Amino acid sequence: MTDDKDVLRDVWFGRIPTCFTLYQDEITEREAEPYYLLLPRISYLTLVTDKVKKHFQKVMRQEEVSEIWFEYEGTPLKWHYPIGLLFDLHASNTALPWSITVHFKNFPEKDLLHCHSKDVIEAHFMACIKEADALKHKSQVINEMQKKDHKQLWMGLQNDKFEQFWAINRKLMEYPPEDNGFRYIPFRIYQATTERPFIQKLFRPIASGGQLHTLGDLLKDVCPSAITPE
Amino acid sequence: VSCSMAGEEDFFLEEKRFKQYCEDFVKHSQQIGDGWEWRTSKDLGDGYLSKTHFQVRSRHIPPDLEEKNNDNTEQMLFAHVEEPSDDSQAAGACSTEEVVRYEYHVLYSSSYQVPVLYFRACFLDGRPLTLDEIWGSVHASYQARLQEGPWDTITQQEHPILGQPFFVLHPCRTNEFISAVLRGSQEHHRYTNYITLWLSTVGPVVGLNLPLSYAKLAPEQSTDAAL
Repeated sequence: MTDDKDVLRDVWFGRIPTCFTLYQDEITEREAEPYYLLLPRISYLTLVTDKVKKHFQKVMRQEEVSEIWFEYEGTPLKWHYPIGLLFDLHASNTALPWSITVHFKNFPEKDLLHCHSKDVIEAHFMACIKEADALKHKSQVINEMQKKDHKQLWMGLQNDKFEQFWAINRKLMEYPPEDNGFRYIPFRIYQATTERPFIQKLFRPIASGGQLHTLGDLLKDVCPSAITPE
Repeated sequence: VSCSMAGEEDFFLEEKRFKQYCEDFVKHSQQIGDGWEWRTSKDLGDGYLSKTHFQVRSRHIPPDLEEKNNDNTEQMLFAHVEEPSDDSQAAGACSTEEVVRYEYHVLYSSSYQVPVLYFRACFLDGRPLTLDEIWGSVHASYQARLQEGPWDTITQQEHPILGQPFFVLHPCRTNEFISAVLRGSQEHHRYTNYITLWLSTVGPVVGLNLPLSYAKLAPEQSTDAAL
């Protein structure tokens, strides 16, 4: 993984320039200016938008403010998806900055998970990490770590600390030299057009003949429609 | 019972085996009219068990309307629903009955190789119950465990097939209790339906009960070569 440090840094520090606009039907005491922010691709909307919330709450009365939620062209944005995923799924073919609408009323109960505190985001993030390790290492690596290591992973993400995060994450990305890879590769394939949110299946990194599987092999196996013959 | 065993301690459930247990389970449910059905997804052919039932809850609203959670509206609403006919000042406590629609789904987790219980609940007007309200309806004997670490036990998550918010009973601890019972069952060459065993243990935590006749569940033909 040390060879890939440049790639790891590029992924970590990826940003999406975003313009937040208050929904026109929200009740304000004076006009709300849009708010511009560079969003980290690898983080979560509700983790990085405190300043957005404060900015719009300044022009609203307290009783008009309920749980914040975000929407793009009529589609509620799932805060529990990484920001980069949301952008790629909904807006990758459009011009920057990405225009997101901010709501404080009429939370869409049927579409979005609630996010009443940072603890909810942490629990979700850690659940993803644990599930991935169940696939990679039968949960052995994550379970052997102390609580403070789990906390360091989360704090690294929350505070945008690459080194702090990877000091722990590198253990989750290693495998014994005698193995040629993880037990299964943790992956999810998202499509904007399906009711099913993502495709996730067991997939081994190595074929029965011993060759390493490629991304193409994975797609052919679990999502052949993604590879068009043309 | 035949499951692939990762270690001597753990019984893991393969997906084909999961589907077979669900099929046997649904057959019995149909016999006794318990309302479970299997739903297959159109795109990938996987599926899940599903059951919907209605429950009447009696709700007592104390006269002090100080709320514990954010939403004050609901308590205000119920306080005005039933005014005692002999008391024009509605200052006393009132209790009202409400109907809650519970929906339970049993899905298979390929990551943990166990079944997972998803559920959601809403009032008849469509308003979903909050996580606090769900916790409040959890059986008293399970409350203590939930107090310690609620985030480890019931959380709100996206349904992996429908893409909508559901509450989920966390699967991590499943193998601990399942293994102990299934080991005994295997030693005595008894058929035990994994779903019956598992659901009868975790279901009551969230208001889902199985009639005892499920315990007599037997496959119509031998589904387990290992028995």
